[in-house]
Amino acid sequence: MELFVLEHKRLWRKTSVRICVLLCFVYCVIYGGVLQYQWFVFGSSNDTTSAFGNNFDGYSMIQTYKEQADKYGGVWTDETFQQMVKDYNDLGRPGLQSGADWQLASGYLNQLYPELADPENQTYQPLIHYVDTEKLTNFYEKRQEFLEYNMEVNRQNGLLTEDDVETLRDMDSQVEEPYKYEWVQGWSNLLSTSLASTGSSMAPYLAIVLAFTFSGEWHSNTAPLLHTTKHGWRKLARVKVLSGLAFAAELFTLVAVGQIVAQLIFLGTDGWDLPIQLIKLIAVAPWNMLQAELYELAFILLGAIGYAGLVMLMSALVKNNVLSLTFSLAFIYVPGLLGFYLPLWAQDASQFIPLVGSPTDIFRMNMFHIFGKGIWMPYMLIIIPVLIGVVCIPFAILKWSRRQKA
Amino acid sequence: MELSIDRLTKHYGHKIAVDRVSATLGPGVYGLLGANGAGKTTLMRMLCSILEPTSGEVRFNGKDVASMGGAYRDVLGYLPQDFGYYPTYTAAEFLFYIAALKGIPKDHAGKRVKELLEMLDLAHVANKKIKTFSGGMKQRVGIAQALLNNPQVLILDEPTSGLDPKERVRLRNLLSEYAGNKIVILSTHIVSDVEAIADVVLVMNAGKIILQGAVPELARQVAGSVWELTVPKVLAREWQERVTVANYRHEGDNVVLRIISDERPSDEAVACEPTLDDAYLYYFGAEEALR
Repeated sequence: MELFVLEHKRLWRKTSVRICVLLCFVYCVIYGGVLQYQWFVFGSSNDTTSAFGNNFDGYSMIQTYKEQADKYGGVWTDETFQQMVKDYNDLGRPGLQSGADWQLASGYLNQLYPELADPENQTYQPLIHYVDTEKLTNFYEKRQEFLEYNMEVNRQNGLLTEDDVETLRDMDSQVEEPYKYEWVQGWSNLLSTSLASTGSSMAPYLAIVLAFTFSGEWHSNTAPLLHTTKHGWRKLARVKVLSGLAFAAELFTLVAVGQIVAQLIFLGTDGWDLPIQLIKLIAVAPWNMLQAELYELAFILLGAIGYAGLVMLMSALVKNNVLSLTFSLAFIYVPGLLGFYLPLWAQDASQFIPLVGSPTDIFRMNMFHIFGKGIWMPYMLIIIPVLIGVVCIPFAILKWSRRQKA
Repeated sequence: MELSIDRLTKHYGHKIAVDRVSATLGPGVYGLLGANGAGKTTLMRMLCSILEPTSGEVRFNGKDVASMGGAYRDVLGYLPQDFGYYPTYTAAEFLFYIAALKGIPKDHAGKRVKELLEMLDLAHVANKKIKTFSGGMKQRVGIAQALLNNPQVLILDEPTSGLDPKERVRLRNLLSEYAGNKIVILSTHIVSDVEAIADVVLVMNAGKIILQGAVPELARQVAGSVWELTVPKVLAREWQERVTVANYRHEGDNVVLRIISDERPSDEAVACEPTLDDAYLYYFGAEEALR
């Protein structure tokens, strides 16, 4: 324990580590949280060409959006939908890019009522501008048809099996209808953008800090000295790994707490029990917003731990700091750069690399097949990355605690 | 207590760094002497069990050190040639960290760190960052960490490099005092350091131990091959080109040359008492020794 405390302290006292933590916090919490709420996403807009043109009034706009949503009585029905579209037009079409739920309504229209679109519409106006609100009926039946259609397309493309479709139907049957309704755009931004990108934003900072865990000892020429101490082999390696994992967890905690505080200040707790289907109609998971947020937080934490294991293995395998950092970053960025050049199976597999996949799969109906059995992708995306990290750890320890051959 | 080296060999590709070195070391101070590239550091790293030999083995009290693992490292103190440290650590913090790695209990470590800082004249800078230290001070921190666990086998690779004459004398005394019933092996290419404290000198060349014995014994081996000759200054260079000159001293208009040669170089040459320096030059020649 004493050795762990000393090693952990040693990690934190490095200037590079403190700078990384500060930059990560500023990027994820200040830029990715506070400024998004107050300025880039929810600030009122005079200039639709750039988020920088928004006014710095996100907090008061959010209160306005919430008040607007409260008018609809707390339950999503055909009448709610009709009234929302009507209000949008009565208010002189205030725009779809704002934080109000008009954008949501417009999305529902395009997905569920495409037959109402005017084929002669030469001005390319959005459907919400001219649709006959009386025709916006059978919302839940329409959503069901939309879901079935998508499942059938995926089945015909070989992405889903009959069993998968049954599994997804079974999940969807547990979603309570009619949906509770409050202001959704805040949660939508949080779950689809803000939290969803936190993991990949943390990755480079984790790499910079942890890529030198073992290689740094060769770089500073301390490895020969450490290796001749009683605990300098296996025990030190274990302590270094533990310290690295603890750092990953601490960085996550710092960022997550910062983001949650910003969320509580700007969005409050309202709407925590809304179904995630309000964000994306195709979602089948019977989860509310809070459950989805907990999933995304767990995804980031486990991904960060998995990635830390991977980075520390690289650090033990190569004695060169630059190579260790390059390989660590390559795991994150190369799959994205190669993207569509990779075969489909490789694209799928690359999602399991820690912090490469996206937690927003909870809004999709992707299934992963193993030994013929279909498993809902978000379960795999949360388990496999951390397993990869855990598997890397003994190899990192083994590599460090071996006598040099040359 | 015995450290035995049995046909220890290390190859790097086709290059042989250490070639079938065998020796049995009991308590005492051993000086490993050799020019740069002779294989001293490679041998020491294998003795410390951090470098895997190509063949041969090192045994401590009859047990293979590679299989002893932590038990061997528990009795080992090592100062690497290029001693690495954490620049942002203070001397005391660094020693506490190494003490924890050596498994020394915290309360005992506190006492030992204080003792060593005083012994190595570092107490006044105990709380200063190592990156602000001079080369000699850093080297003393390195020596302190090697002594932390009161090791039975102390291996010091070039411990006197970077030390000023006063510090070198202090280190020599410290090691002489420390040795007692322990095995101390130090490598250097500074002959006078070895001469002053080593009980036994092992001379390495091209990966092999070519000579070993006590200092007077090695010096005696070249008795009759060391001469002093006084020549006019103008002839000094000519003599330097003809024979191995160990020393060159001005005396008025003349110079006194200390010459290593099996044969009397001149009728005026006077035989003199050999030293370890002379023996070293005798076996390596001036150029090799300077390398």
